[in-house]
Amino acid sequence: MRTNLRANTAVKMNVFTEQQCQELVFAAEEAMWLTGTEFHDPESIEILRKAGCTIDGIIAHIPPHITERALQTCQKHIVLCNSRTGARELFLEGGNSYFGSGPCTPFTRNPYTEERHRATRESVKWATKVLDALPNIDYAMSLGIVQDVPLLLSDRHEFEQMILNTDKPIITVCNDQYGQEDNIKMAEYIAGGEEELRNHPFICLYAEPISPGVHCIEAAQKMVYGARKGLPTIYTPCIMAGGTAPATLAGVMVQGLCESLSGLVLGQCAAEGSPFIMGGVYTVLDMGSTIFSYGAPELDLMLAGLADVAHYLKVPMFGTAGCTDTCVIDEQAGVEAALSMAMTNMSGANLNHDTGYAEYGTTSNLDLVVIADEVLGMARRITAGIQTTEETLSLKEIEKVGPGGRFRAADIPEPEEEGVFEPKNSRVDYQARLVNRGAREIWEKAGGKTLKQAANEKVRDIIENHEAEPLPKATAAKIREMVENAVGHMPGE
Amino acid sequence: MATIEDLAQAVFDGSTSKAKKLSQELIDDGMAPLDVINQGLIAGMSEVGAQFKAGTMFVPDMMAAAEAMTAGTEVVKPLLAADDMQSLGTVFICTVKGDLHDIGKNLVVMMLESAGFNVINAGVDVSPEDIVAGVKEHHPDIIGMSALLTTTMLHMKDTIELLKEEGLRDQVKVIIGGAPVSQDFADEISADGYSPDAVSAADLAKSLVGAA
Repeated sequence: MRTNLRANTAVKMNVFTEQQCQELVFAAEEAMWLTGTEFHDPESIEILRKAGCTIDGIIAHIPPHITERALQTCQKHIVLCNSRTGARELFLEGGNSYFGSGPCTPFTRNPYTEERHRATRESVKWATKVLDALPNIDYAMSLGIVQDVPLLLSDRHEFEQMILNTDKPIITVCNDQYGQEDNIKMAEYIAGGEEELRNHPFICLYAEPISPGVHCIEAAQKMVYGARKGLPTIYTPCIMAGGTAPATLAGVMVQGLCESLSGLVLGQCAAEGSPFIMGGVYTVLDMGSTIFSYGAPELDLMLAGLADVAHYLKVPMFGTAGCTDTCVIDEQAGVEAALSMAMTNMSGANLNHDTGYAEYGTTSNLDLVVIADEVLGMARRITAGIQTTEETLSLKEIEKVGPGGRFRAADIPEPEEEGVFEPKNSRVDYQARLVNRGAREIWEKAGGKTLKQAANEKVRDIIENHEAEPLPKATAAKIREMVENAVGHMPGE
Repeated sequence: MATIEDLAQAVFDGSTSKAKKLSQELIDDGMAPLDVINQGLIAGMSEVGAQFKAGTMFVPDMMAAAEAMTAGTEVVKPLLAADDMQSLGTVFICTVKGDLHDIGKNLVVMMLESAGFNVINAGVDVSPEDIVAGVKEHHPDIIGMSALLTTTMLHMKDTIELLKEEGLRDQVKVIIGGAPVSQDFADEISADGYSPDAVSAADLAKSLVGAA
């Protein structure tokens, strides 16, 4: 009988101890209180004033007790659902790590011609089909700003292409509060009503402050509206060490937490109990090229650190993985994407985006999404860890086979217990689908393809042959009508 | 005794106090103020620019050198006649209406100043009307506009149209930049130039004023 045994059921890494997490959160609370952050939306300023914050023009100084209360009241158990069936699919909590694409790249690379061009309705349709077909991709973001339509309405067209081409949950990134309102209306129509959508959310909202410490009108209004609707909202600063935050990585953590938690406070003061997801793309301003780096090891490190803080706070975390700075899908892309996915998965960040981003986040690439899906299979196998039970120690099998014998499936004793719940992590060995493990002759006979070539073939195959679970025709027609009737608003007017 | 090479080196090293001290010493030794600027301060800065392009120096080195150059220039400036001190031209620069993102624009400002332009940085969220007012007030050679969003970049087009309406379009060159902006977009809205980063923005500005 095994007694008093502690075992790891999964592989996990930590950047910070609990005490360090506490230190970071207190530092963020201090920055929120002493320095404050700017809110460019008058209604948000009023909400914060009423809640007890000190208002100085457009700067809100948030006292720590309000931040601490917001951390208590926000909904932490957040589930994202299938848009066709309402089935509960993603549980954004604990060490559960889910992965998907990113939004809003101005450009994309055509998988047939390799041409880099502005994203279109068709490119978002293709991207969504690829996301829908891949087993390790858990949700969809658009992988491009639709630009063959009036630009002020791009967000509605992106939502339409996504909802038509996948039943996986969707994170919708809207231009402004008007776009968000329209997309929520469409989602409510599909769900069968406001309450139905709240109880089975298949969309997740997204807003982004401008570092350092500025909540633009669009971000603040989207946060408030999303909170009032009771829909999960990601609040995610994209900050760069040495550019829009201190050069020290701990300083970036504090700056980012200060911005995220200020968004949390706004949401909780607008609608207490609303579901909140703490986001972040924390990276460096590359001091040679001046890019916002998506492949820097500091990004992986800081976001793994943020995952520790999120676990400490018991708040769901929105992370970043599967992206690259390089302009084409080459060895650099593979290295950067794989490192980030492995580290992110080990850190246990809950909802991870930007898979498929190339060219430091300006150009999406579907070949990279397919490669990422393969890498995720590997990463998930790694984090599934090694189970040590009396059964898996395999002493009976070793004894039965004996020295010089052959290990065969027939020699494995029947499992003693069945029906163990295994969320995403497969405990059976990873099956290579895309990478080559064939001997030279076999590989040559199969065309001698590189991983990039194999991935591109798969992308084309999905585009040509995969069909997502369709929306009912009448529903699709209604969505078309809603998109056609949408009205855009010029920013700043 | 201080040499002009020492001064160039001080700028290259980003040493503000040394640049100040050596500029003063060279002036006291009787060197012509313009030579102090051109052969010392600007020479040091040019070397930093070259190394930055080669990838052996980085943004902080560039900023430190620019500060050292400015410190030296301030020592020499009072000794120059007004038209001795010639800048490459004036650039009026801003982030467009509805957009508060400015890190890229600020990097461009730094590069333009380092290259020898007089820069009027009008900040963020600047409307087409305010840009036109800025042109009337400052008579810049170049307008630089920045946008991070596909929605706000539409204001670049509006600004160019307003410049045309006001009869100012021929008096000023317009350059644009920002993540969603491309050469194609610049061509579409009849801008005079686009550059993908801060270093090439300074090169572009130089070529537009015939200084490249």
